[in-house]
Amino acid sequence: MDPVDQVERLSKRSRDLFGKDYGFALDYNEPISQRIKFSSKLRNEYLAARESLPPHIEAKLPPPSRFSRRDDTTRNEINPILNELIPPPPPPGTLADASTSTAVAIRHGHGPASATDGTPQVAPAQMQLTVQQQRSQFGDGSSRALAERRTNVTQVRPEWHAQWKLMRVISGHLGWVRSVCVEPDNQWFATGAGDRTIKIWDLASGTLKLTLTGHIMTVRGLAVSPRHPYLFSCGEDKMVKCWDLEQNKVIRQYHGHLSGVYSLDLHPNLDVLVTAGRDAVARVWDMRTRMAVHVLSGHKATISSVKCQEADPQVVTGSMDTQVRLWDLAAGKTQTVLTHHKKSVRALTMHPTEFTFASGSADNIKQWKFPEGAFMQNFEPAHNAIVNTLSTNSDGVMFSGGDNGSMAFFDWKSGHKFQETEATVVPGSLDAENGIFASTFDHTGLRLITCEADKSIKVWREDPEATPETHPGIEWKPKIGRQRY
Amino acid sequence: MATTYNEIGAVITVSDAQKLNNIPPYGQRTGWRPKTLDDFGDGGAFPEINMKQYPLDMGRTKQGPSNALAIQVDSQGKIKYDAIARQGHAAGRIVHTSFSDLIPLRQRANIGEINLARPSEEEVAETTAKTKAAFEMIVSGKSKAANAKSITNSKAQEATYIRYTPSNMMGERGDGQHRQRIIKMVDLPEDPMEPPKFRHTKVPRGPPSPPAPLLRSPPRKLTAKDAEDFNIPPSVSKWKNPKGYTIALDKRLAADGRGLEEVKINDNFAKLSEALYAADRHAREEVKQRALLQQKIADQEKEAKEEHLRMLARKVREEREVTARNTSRRSASPRPVRSRSVSRGRSRSRSLSYDSRYGSRSPYDRDSYRARSYERRSYRSNSYSRSRSRTPQSRTGRSRTPRSRTPSPSRYDSRSRSRSYSYSRSPSRSISRSPSRTPRSRSRSYSR
Repeated sequence: MDPVDQVERLSKRSRDLFGKDYGFALDYNEPISQRIKFSSKLRNEYLAARESLPPHIEAKLPPPSRFSRRDDTTRNEINPILNELIPPPPPPGTLADASTSTAVAIRHGHGPASATDGTPQVAPAQMQLTVQQQRSQFGDGSSRALAERRTNVTQVRPEWHAQWKLMRVISGHLGWVRSVCVEPDNQWFATGAGDRTIKIWDLASGTLKLTLTGHIMTVRGLAVSPRHPYLFSCGEDKMVKCWDLEQNKVIRQYHGHLSGVYSLDLHPNLDVLVTAGRDAVARVWDMRTRMAVHVLSGHKATISSVKCQEADPQVVTGSMDTQVRLWDLAAGKTQTVLTHHKKSVRALTMHPTEFTFASGSADNIKQWKFPEGAFMQNFEPAHNAIVNTLSTNSDGVMFSGGDNGSMAFFDWKSGHKFQETEATVVPGSLDAENGIFASTFDHTGLRLITCEADKSIKVWREDPEATPETHPGIEWKPKIGRQRY
Repeated sequence: MATTYNEIGAVITVSDAQKLNNIPPYGQRTGWRPKTLDDFGDGGAFPEINMKQYPLDMGRTKQGPSNALAIQVDSQGKIKYDAIARQGHAAGRIVHTSFSDLIPLRQRANIGEINLARPSEEEVAETTAKTKAAFEMIVSGKSKAANAKSITNSKAQEATYIRYTPSNMMGERGDGQHRQRIIKMVDLPEDPMEPPKFRHTKVPRGPPSPPAPLLRSPPRKLTAKDAEDFNIPPSVSKWKNPKGYTIALDKRLAADGRGLEEVKINDNFAKLSEALYAADRHAREEVKQRALLQQKIADQEKEAKEEHLRMLARKVREEREVTARNTSRRSASPRPVRSRSVSRGRSRSRSLSYDSRYGSRSPYDRDSYRARSYERRSYRSNSYSRSRSRTPQSRTGRSRTPRSRTPSPSRYDSRSRSRSYSYSRSPSRSISRSPSRTPRSRSRSYSR
């Protein structure tokens, strides 16, 4: 790369990282700096808004003034060295050229032609726009780009989280452990496995309390109701069972699925449960009468994950036809279809406090905003494995478990992966038996329970001695340059 | 009607309608075209005017009902190109159609303040109530259908009465009392055993709702290497061929997986074979060494024995000479020993050995036996046995030379002995054997 370009990139990065903390040393002429500050602020805020005005209104306004010569000469006066090092931001009207960056979006307005010059030319009235930039603008400077991006996007800095370490390994199942659920009082948790049993374990000590038998094939989904003393389980044998926890036996079965049921969730407010599986439909059951209230059809392949929440859209499903659908439960119809994923969506997780959720597939883990399903961000750097499970913490830690045993921990707000580890198999297992099928945080968010393919259950916790200096985690760098989605 | 004349003098009749609408009369229509329906008046098309005419709007080919969407424009005046993607959906449906739906939310231009708070309690309660009500209706409808007690609807079968006040009774005024009528409406009784009256025809399903726009890049093209990696040859059985196809050998073996697997042999096999080889070599060396050692010992013993014998022979010779001198002085007498030994010929040394055997209980018992047996063997092995073994006669029977065959279960003789040797025992020997300790028994005690 051209050394001038390299210096530019480095200076951009440092500006972005430290610009907030230090600013420019504008301590020379107070009124001038104030004027500059205000005018630049106004421009930043409102010049972009100007482009979204209807053209007939915008025609009435005076054309946007580019940097006036006055501003730039003062800038030159103030600190010519600084001026050379860190070029000024472009006027917000110049946009959307394939070669301009936007994510950090502080870039010299000149095109590549000026990069060859020794010093950047600052006088805007003589600013030579490249042909591409000229084409991308109307005469008065408003943009013709189809999708306008913000020019000064500050990236969210990730919060530091302690590294997660293995605390306990619980063996006892005789088949792959496929599902897990922690009870609302955080006393015990239940796991369902390929040996067709549901085992209930004490959370504090990890000892086995109870084994429930009744399914004839793998138990794929579990849920403990916070409002009734019931445990719901679903399996590959098309059965959905309601267990009474006071008597430890099955009291209800919900009949109607045509094929294996892979996922189950309870509605927080209504007495309703939603199950979904290989027949590509999600069924909404009334708990008491065992009737299928709605059959939510629309997916074309197995639904691998279903989640319920109290506000609209009340049901979210992720399926192996790469679609995520948000459903209107009262009408029984799809509200939105999200087609951003390229591979099967195997995992969904809702954030406990924010109105957002994340969906995981082999290509990407994406974060979305309710209620319209707006795409928020990708979790970077990507977890390069088939993501079988996602779980979120109230501290903003998201865990993703892969089919090859790899585990990744992400910061929710910024989407940054701060830890990546690989689970080790229990001694006696093959290395190929490394895989995570299900996971959950307990209700405090301090313990992570993962269910693995080597028939063990692993409990993880945060390293108590970790500090930001000793365990900084994977390094975060703000991104420069346009990204592809 | 006024008669008018045209240029060539023909009479022109003008109708009322023509007059009213200013339709030019026949002959004067050269530049004129009927533009509206009224221009046809009450007549038909004008044949002399060369254009398509549809008087009374008759004869047009009708455009059928088309599915084309009309172009719609949104509030800002931009054309709604995503109307196609929204076709058929309810108004509340959210369809992501633009490129900005692909940009992360915080980087979109017009987004303003992003509010990530969960909806409030009131909203949630409202949603819950609405959903619950909807569910109640559905569930009650279904449960009624499930729990229906009788097939007849009793409410519909009861009579309803209607008070009818007729108006405008066709001129007939009627008396005041009969101005109103009461009508009793009863459902026609349904025959429960009647078969269904109508056929339910199946209507093919309509088109599905339009597919959602795909907001992802198209799948990457396969490289040749990828295609090769995932290439699975068709499975052709090595055992079954029910239809008798002739398939090339390379296709028969393609799914074999020979080239794919690396056959790993455990190292322990090599270690085992090496250990065996070493042990074998070691054993053979040991055996050879032992044999050499024994041979050396035997040689030494033989030497010693020969020396001893020579000494004995010398002694005997001297004694003989002495006695011969003595007897020659006295008289000439036969020597039985010598004659015996002479008559025995080949077995001379053996006879000696026998005598020495019986005569002496010498400290060389073992050695003497060994020497004897070795002698026997040496005689046989060096000169006689070789010759004997080579000649075919020697291999045959035990009757051949009973003397020569002396079964001796000594260690180093076992190999050189043939089976035929083991049986023979010369009866002569048994006579000469001493009763108490036979050489056989002795040898037996030693050789093991």
